[in-house]
Amino acid sequence: MIFLRRQLPLVITFVTGVLFTAQYYVPHPRSELMLTEVTKWLQIIGGFALVLGVTSLFHIHAVKIRRKEPGWGYSLVLYAGIFGTIAVGFSYSFAAGQWVNGKETINGIMTAFGWIYLNMMVPLQGSMFALLAFFIASAAYRSFRARSREAALLLIAAVIVMMGRVPLGELLLPVSGDITQWILNVLNASVRRAILIGISLGAIALSLKIIFGIERAYLGGGKE
Amino acid sequence: MNFAERMLHIDRRIIFLVIGVCTLLPLLYPVGLAIKVSSEVRGVHDYIESLPEGSVFLLSMDYDPASKPELYPQAVALLRHAFRKNLRVIGMTLWLPGTGLADQVMTQVAREMGKVSGKDYVFLGWSPGSGSLIINMGQDLYKAFPTDYYNQPTRELAVLKGIQTLRDVNYVVSLAAGTSGIETWYVYGKDKYKFELGGGCTGVIAPGLYPLLRSGQINGLIGGLRGAAEYEVLIGQKGRAVAGMDAQSATHFAIIVLVILCNVFYLLVKTSRKQGEAR
Repeated sequence: MIFLRRQLPLVITFVTGVLFTAQYYVPHPRSELMLTEVTKWLQIIGGFALVLGVTSLFHIHAVKIRRKEPGWGYSLVLYAGIFGTIAVGFSYSFAAGQWVNGKETINGIMTAFGWIYLNMMVPLQGSMFALLAFFIASAAYRSFRARSREAALLLIAAVIVMMGRVPLGELLLPVSGDITQWILNVLNASVRRAILIGISLGAIALSLKIIFGIERAYLGGGKE
Repeated sequence: MNFAERMLHIDRRIIFLVIGVCTLLPLLYPVGLAIKVSSEVRGVHDYIESLPEGSVFLLSMDYDPASKPELYPQAVALLRHAFRKNLRVIGMTLWLPGTGLADQVMTQVAREMGKVSGKDYVFLGWSPGSGSLIINMGQDLYKAFPTDYYNQPTRELAVLKGIQTLRDVNYVVSLAAGTSGIETWYVYGKDKYKFELGGGCTGVIAPGLYPLLRSGQINGLIGGLRGAAEYEVLIGQKGRAVAGMDAQSATHFAIIVLVILCNVFYLLVKTSRKQGEAR
């Protein structure tokens, strides 16, 4: 059992890790064919992740409803939303003369599923995101204060970028556009690049540790 | 509590009201301020402009309804430009919740420009995997998408004639609201399959993509509603983005004024406290 739970996954990880690192540098047709096949497997596994996510969502909210935890009514709304949308998604569109099959439109005719998507999901998600503008303004008023030299510098940079990104700012202070471009292209880009290099080096180190079996957290714990 | 202290603890509903008014008024009474085009947006525009008729343009609309106000106008402007240039357009998305929006924008602009599905353009829809999907498309487009969004076998579509993999695509633009998006297309796509890549994104994530732009990993970047407005100006078809820029100008200025006011009140409070301690 230990072989199946520990050694075999380690061997598979090592072999596939080395194989596909090498594959990147070998443009032979057989090597490319292998990559095509394996990416298809990955896509199928990606599909399973969706099933796993939905199952987990169902489980979490079922527990909330059973225990009558605070806000359990919202979980009921979630269940109604999910089942309602799934039912409509699998229904028959008499207008289009076809099964909906999860399509928003069929031959240019909007299905009931499409109606739910365009008239419920799109405005709801849009409204949630739009609320951010109000909260950002409120948060900026309360917390964006020049408490130190660094904070003052950040504040000045933010004001210039906010001016430089809109036509009114460029009209009132024509140089704001050019300064904004310089801040984004030089200061921002260099710092972001440093962060990206750090992340990439970390990712390479972690990948090597996984391939060589040093990092084994992905195997999980439990009894052996 | 003096006036400055009271102003520092102002009811946030007043701030909400100011922002609401600043958004609404310019939308009702547009001013139409001039929009300056940046080199990042021009990069995407000029590359599409340089493509000969019949070239293959892939637009990946990697966003969900939350980012519709910023990325939908970008998609409309790009599609109008590509269709006007008579490019063969492939549409798709890496974001499942964005499939309906992507389908809507492609159908709407294609109809407006008199283009036919399957002949002038194809919408492939969504398939799981993001990175692995891009690799799969790079290996064999027809294995990644055996049918299009409307269940038509992709191998039989005239628009895809002569296209086998991503290597046959002339230009890819990803309109991204996060990951999966532009970085995914670069790491799994451009780096291996050597197509030219451009990007469009929400204003929030734009600063994070500047390193890719500066290093030439993407040849242009359309950032937020401003970027969309610039693109509309470039193609000479002003739309929703240009209309929205007045509202964005007003809200940006409202926030700037609020930040300046809060700092003035903060300094007043700080000074009066120091004076009180000195006494």
